[in-house]
Amino acid sequence: MDREVIISAIKEVAAPYTQDKQALDEISETTSFITDLKINSANLVDIVLDLEEKFGIEIDNDSMAKMLDVKSTLDVIEAKLAEK
Amino acid sequence: MIGNDLVDLRQAAIESNWRRKGYLVKVCTPEEQELVLEASKPDEMLWLIWTMKEAACKIIQRKTGIRRYEPINFCCGSLNINKKNSSGIVSYFKDSFLMRSELSDTFIHSVAVSALKDFQHLHLQYLRPEPDYRTAFNRLSEFYQLAGTPSGIPELTHQITGQKHAVSVSHHGDYLAVIYSDSLLLAD
Repeated sequence: MDREVIISAIKEVAAPYTQDKQALDEISETTSFITDLKINSANLVDIVLDLEEKFGIEIDNDSMAKMLDVKSTLDVIEAKLAEK
Repeated sequence: MIGNDLVDLRQAAIESNWRRKGYLVKVCTPEEQELVLEASKPDEMLWLIWTMKEAACKIIQRKTGIRRYEPINFCCGSLNINKKNSSGIVSYFKDSFLMRSELSDTFIHSVAVSALKDFQHLHLQYLRPEPDYRTAFNRLSEFYQLAGTPSGIPELTHQITGQKHAVSVSHHGDYLAVIYSDSLLLAD
């Protein structure tokens, strides 16, 4: 799956949890969920669960630990898709 | 080192649906899940456990300089809950932290320290959650100046000694809490 496609999926999943629409529009691999999108840390779990559903993957705790920015999240999704 | 975390209960009820499938098992150990599900007020219990984990996590982050998202590896234990406050321990692999929490009807605020004596010279200042909260803090404080590093980490300087003291800030919804220590320095 194309990385651009995965980024737009991450953007869609993150949208309900951020108030900062401008930061969301400018989303890129370097975007941090907490610092840039100002997403509450309790909602990061929701993002992980939403991505699991969207891609039909299971994200283990060790992978979740890295999912603080778009790039790491992309890497985790790609790795999990490759395992399928 | 010290760390704190605050949850505005009204805000959390709007923002988070922790009852959704899969949520609790990603955040809580089996023992913690049981505590939440059997509590008379499950929301309060969940957010108490959450703030304890986050407060301890802030200490680890400052110590290692590495940010990781692993709430399940911060394990709450020895919980002793009273009406308006609680105490407990959070362990993270080989490290463990002592916790004290304030339980109000509208928010929960938890503080983590490395050793019992660290509670002694600890101060707590609640402020309005405005962008210039540091100005408000500095107006109220006789000796300290609160600033932030470009990466957003709070920095507290004693105006006379010039020393940097241990400080932690947490904000959620309508509440903002600053904790700082007279005896512990930034590096302690």
